[in-house]
Amino acid sequence: MNCDETLHHLYVYLDGEATMVRRWRMRRHLRRCPPCEDGLVFEGRLKVRVREGCREEVPRELVERLRTFLEGHAEDRM
Amino acid sequence: MADRADFTDQVMEYAPQLYAAALRMTRNPADAEDVLQETLLKAYRGYHTFIPDTNLKAWLYRILTNTFINKYRRQSRRPHEVELGELEDLYLYKRLGEEGTSGATRSAEDEALDRFVDADIKAALESLPENFRIPVLLADVEGFSYKEIAEIMDVPIGTVMSRLHRGRKALQQALWRFAEDREATGP
Repeated sequence: MNCDETLHHLYVYLDGEATMVRRWRMRRHLRRCPPCEDGLVFEGRLKVRVREGCREEVPRELVERLRTFLEGHAEDRM
Repeated sequence: MADRADFTDQVMEYAPQLYAAALRMTRNPADAEDVLQETLLKAYRGYHTFIPDTNLKAWLYRILTNTFINKYRRQSRRPHEVELGELEDLYLYKRLGEEGTSGATRSAEDEALDRFVDADIKAALESLPENFRIPVLLADVEGFSYKEIAEIMDVPIGTVMSRLHRGRKALQQALWRFAEDREATGP
C-alpha cells in the first residue's frame, strides 16, 4: 500500500470498518511512513474533538415538556 | 411487543441525544424541538412495529432523520443535494502544520486543535449541505456504523462512505474558515 491508497482508506480504517486484510496492509504502511501515521493520528483526534464540540446541555424543562406531551397522547391510539 | 410505559421511559432516555442531533439538522432550537416532538410521537405510535432487543437508537434516528427531511425539505429554498468542489486530503493537518513552527510535534497538534471552540465546530457542521451533514453527524457525533447509517438514511453503504469521506473533508475547510473569521473579528 502506498501513501495515496492509505489516505484513500484512512476514514474506513479510523471508523473501524476496514477488512482484516486492509487493516493489516495499512498498519504495515503506517509503521514505515511517519507522515501518514501522524496524519491518521490527527484525523482520529479531530474526530473526537468534533464529537465533544457538538455536546449540548439539554434544558430539563424541555425534557419534561416532551414527556408531558407524550403522556398526553397516551390514549390516542392503542 | 414492548410495554408502552417501559417504552416511553426507554425512548425518553434518548431525548437529550436526539435533541442535540435535531439542533444540528434544523440549526435552531424551536425547529429542533418541533422535529423532536414529532419524532417522539411517531415512535410512540409506531412502537408496535419496533422489535424488542433490536437497535432502538438506530430506529429512533431513522424516524428523526425522516421527520426532519419531510418537514424541512419542502420549506427550504436551499438546495439539499449539493456537490462539493475539490477537496484536499488532510486539509487541517496541513494548515495547522504550516502555521506552527517547523516539525509540528503531536503536542503542538493538540494545541492547534484547541484553537477551535465548540461554536466553530457546530457552525462548521451546520454549514455542510444536508446530504453530507447528516452522515457526518451520524458517524462522528452519534457513533453509528456505516451499515446503520445506510439503514437510517435509506441509501447504499457505498453512498454513505463517499459522503462521509467528502463531508469530513468539507467540514475541515469550514472549520478552518470559521476559526479564521472568528479570530479576525475578535471576541
